[in-house]
Amino acid sequence: MRKFIIRRLIQFIPLLIGMTFISFLIIQLAPGDYFTQLKMNPEISPETIENMKKNFGLDKPVIIQYFYWLRNIFTFNLGESFSYHVPVSYLIKIRLKNTISLSIFSIFLTWIISIPFGIYGAVNDKKFHEKLLSFLAYIGISLPSFFIAMLLIFFISKTAVLPLGGTRSIFYENATYFERFLDYMKHLLTPGLVLTISGIGSLYRLMKNNFLESLNSPYIFTAYAKGLPTWKIYFKHALRNAINPMITIFGYELSGILSGAGLVEIITGWPGMGRLILEGVLSFDLYLVMASLLIGGILLIFGNLFADILLALVDPRIRLR
Amino acid sequence: MKEILKLEDISVGNEEVKILRDIEFEVKKGEIISVVGESGCGKSMTLRTIIKLLPKNLKILKGRVYFEGIDITDLDEEKMKEIRGGKISIIFQEPSSYLNPLFTIGNQIEEGIKDRIKKEEKKERVMKILKEVGLSENVYYQYPHQLSGGMQQRAMIAMSIINKPSLLLADEPTTSLDITTAFEILNLLKDLVISHNISIIFVTHDISLARFISKEMIVMYAGIIVEKGFSNLIYSNPLHPYTKKLIDCLPEKYNKGERIRTIEGEVISFKNLPNGCPFYPRCEEKKEICEGFLPKEIEIENVSVRCFKYGDFMES
Repeated sequence: MRKFIIRRLIQFIPLLIGMTFISFLIIQLAPGDYFTQLKMNPEISPETIENMKKNFGLDKPVIIQYFYWLRNIFTFNLGESFSYHVPVSYLIKIRLKNTISLSIFSIFLTWIISIPFGIYGAVNDKKFHEKLLSFLAYIGISLPSFFIAMLLIFFISKTAVLPLGGTRSIFYENATYFERFLDYMKHLLTPGLVLTISGIGSLYRLMKNNFLESLNSPYIFTAYAKGLPTWKIYFKHALRNAINPMITIFGYELSGILSGAGLVEIITGWPGMGRLILEGVLSFDLYLVMASLLIGGILLIFGNLFADILLALVDPRIRLR
Repeated sequence: MKEILKLEDISVGNEEVKILRDIEFEVKKGEIISVVGESGCGKSMTLRTIIKLLPKNLKILKGRVYFEGIDITDLDEEKMKEIRGGKISIIFQEPSSYLNPLFTIGNQIEEGIKDRIKKEEKKERVMKILKEVGLSENVYYQYPHQLSGGMQQRAMIAMSIINKPSLLLADEPTTSLDITTAFEILNLLKDLVISHNISIIFVTHDISLARFISKEMIVMYAGIIVEKGFSNLIYSNPLHPYTKKLIDCLPEKYNKGERIRTIEGEVISFKNLPNGCPFYPRCEEKKEICEGFLPKEIEIENVSVRCFKYGDFMES
């Protein structure tokens, strides 16, 4: 097992280099850059722009630029943002915290709700209340997340039960530590609920179908023929088999922590990575985009590794010795 | 000799179809009885009726099931759970899919133990039973995918006899195995009959295998018993046209180079059963009466058969 993890970690390095190299090329070879916009501004002289290019090392060929960037990465220097004139790492730090707490909150909520409901739906398959659940799930799947966000924002603005936008209320400065936490959670609730509502439907259906499939398997018949109590058949034999394919999906969800919430963050005004990346891409802010791509790539790889390890723990057939 | 299981006039189905009709037979203590027939003739359904694990859309329409002298037809679920895996257990055609892939063999056998004993005692009992079915103690810690088909079937058998049942239902237990492994499993089952005094209902589609393993056999077609009696008698002198055909198709009945014979026509589907004898469309000895009426069971020299060839006794 340890060998397997170490081997996978070593494989990551060329994977990350390849991934960032291709991204770098695509961004740099695309027509236009940050300075195209500056050139339009008559107040900025061409000399100033040339100086800036030199400062950022952008007067060199693209390949050289990439290796400069790569060298900086290994010294934990993510470069400087063109438009904010501050180090990228500084920009990302706060935003990353917000995005990760939002993602973990919504993933946790989504799974904790849809897994038991999925089991309930499978056990009561084809009954009226299961059909109702499936109907609701279909609505959840078909409504786009931005639309759910708008509905929720409309509802909140009418009732004012929750604060909208940002992460802090006005009284933040004078609040105790606990009040601050509570305030943060209240702000988190709006985007968190939107993500949860839009994620629950498909996860419910997946879990229901997995559980149903596993209930119809021959080994479940064996369990019945052994005269086992029903709870043991459901929660030992069926659940373990149904949860297996869910673990792979969980890995993907982890990899989407950074970018998965982008649209919802922008609409609900949650200051997370999604908005920062969008702004970065629109203004050709090279190092900012590269940094977020790098973090996204690392999360994707670790999400998959985590899922693989979990799967190996659960399923003896793929356990490596 | 005392009978352990008795099926009395059992019919299984629903409003649309009848899967089993007028099934009646008994199993004696410490004996093997075979149920023979093509796929889809209701052999497995008969077994599932006995332990009352029928598919949701089917139920027992009439008849009674007696086990050890007690009527278990209307027994509630909780009491049935005691019987299933306790007094009556079952093994299947494909042990690989009937064993849960995610748990060790030891775990799966152990969880079935009905007696409330300590965990160490349970483990000890599993180890003993593994040895008895010819597996090493190591198998306790292994997962199903690490075993061969024959070993998996042995594990299944160990699982089924852990509570010392009096009746074992064997649903084509050797079909997915190669011939030598199959014979090992058959010998193991025969040994169990002697050492544990177990009765076995052995379901198979191979009539020569049935003759080899059991003194008595039942031949089924489309949910009815067409012939039943002593295996040797039926094998040497089949009465029902269907049984005749089955025996005629056996490999040992061919001359070298001869083309393999089959039974003309298809197994009838349960959706459109004819009023008369279900074998009528494929029968070469059919009479006019066969089309409209179902023959009654008649006894000829210790073998009972349902065919109008032997007299016009019809179902009232």
